Amino acid sequence: MADDFGQQLIALLPRLRRFAVSLTRSRDLADDLVQITCEKALANQHTYEAGTRLDAWLFRIMRNSWIDRVRRNTTEGTKIDVDDAHYLVGQDGAAVTEARLMLNSTAEHLANLPDDQREVMLLVCVDELSYREAADILEVPIGTVMSRLARARKKIMAEMGIDAGTTRSEDEKGSVR
Amino acid sequence: MTEHTFSDETLMAFADGELSQDETEAVERAMEADEALALRVEAFMETRLKSQEALKPLLDEPVPEALRRKVEGLVAGNAEQAENVVRFPQKRPSVPVSTPRWAVPLAASVALVAGVAGGYWLGLTDPGGTSGLQAAYLGSPDVVQALHEVASGKEKDLGGSERFRAIASYKDTNGDLCREFEVDHPDKSTVVAVACNIEKTWKVQFTVVAARNTEGYAPASSLEALNAYLTAVGASDPLSEAAERSALEALKPQK
Repeated sequence: MADDFGQQLIALLPRLRRFAVSLTRSRDLADDLVQITCEKALANQHTYEAGTRLDAWLFRIMRNSWIDRVRRNTTEGTKIDVDDAHYLVGQDGAAVTEARLMLNSTAEHLANLPDDQREVMLLVCVDELSYREAADILEVPIGTVMSRLARARKKIMAEMGIDAGTTRSEDEKGSVR
Repeated sequence: MTEHTFSDETLMAFADGELSQDETEAVERAMEADEALALRVEAFMETRLKSQEALKPLLDEPVPEALRRKVEGLVAGNAEQAENVVRFPQKRPSVPVSTPRWAVPLAASVALVAGVAGGYWLGLTDPGGTSGLQAAYLGSPDVVQALHEVASGKEKDLGGSERFRAIASYKDTNGDLCREFEVDHPDKSTVVAVACNIEKTWKVQFTVVAARNTEGYAPASSLEALNAYLTAVGASDPLSEAAERSALEALKPQK
């Protein structure tokens, strides 16, 4: 029996890894997270619904694993080491060198987004999932996905000087720009 | 000014192709008449494009060799498992699967599959014969007693020519006390097992039945499977004599 599932899993490794790097902000942790995700995926293969997006299913497993990990660390009082020098786009709030900033400023802006906005940016804009698929992964209503996503993108526009003209949003009525 | 104002969410959804046909047409009509509106939509499209470009390099990076090999090993092991319902614990994936630092709960469940086809409750009577094989080896209530009493490194005769030997105690990641032990049987086999005390009940987590060598200890080959298991569940280093004693003391029924 050809193991299509396993082959698809291997083919998705680069994308799993990218999402993991973005979630964990650390390449080492990301590789662990990818491994865990694959283990869980293989162990729960029977729960995957054929015909649905495998990447979305895997992202969900990955994100839940990461949340469990963060939660466990919080209760244990230990800290996740996010200070990984190899992480491409720096870390939240940390001063980064100008050279690095120039290298890939969008990545920098993405990295500096709050977690809930960053993950929705990744899922929708980078990995091209639908709002519905993102909402399922994040276990929030579609409206929440949309408001986080819009907020994240407005922030990136502002930081990158993308001219959006006069804007009007539901949660900042009356304010211009 | 158009008759209709659009929220950022709506324009973003338009840019992402997430609006219904009707809504899409409404935005399109409005954009024709309102250049500012078109600019706002374009800005949302640009953020999407820029984000994709920004993280493209990560996608182009080769997957680290170690990670790729691990996952390939997992996939191979999984396929093997699917074809081989009854597997010996030694038959793990040919590529060693090292345990990520924080991967413990899942790894434990994987190791359980490898180690024993479902744990069973020590001290319970055989429920309808399904666990008859294991019960034949560890079903004696004396084993439960011994788990509570015998310090690691010590032995105890269980009667019926069975001999219990406590090897070591450790804490698993949930903080439950686990004990590695061996039981020699009169038929010259030795059961190597790990049982954890979960909610006041000793539950077998791992067993291997090994032919005994002349010294009375299980041969080293069967211990490789045990070591793999202990590594996989992230077992702590063995408890000291004193720590073991107080851990066992704490399990004593309060009556």
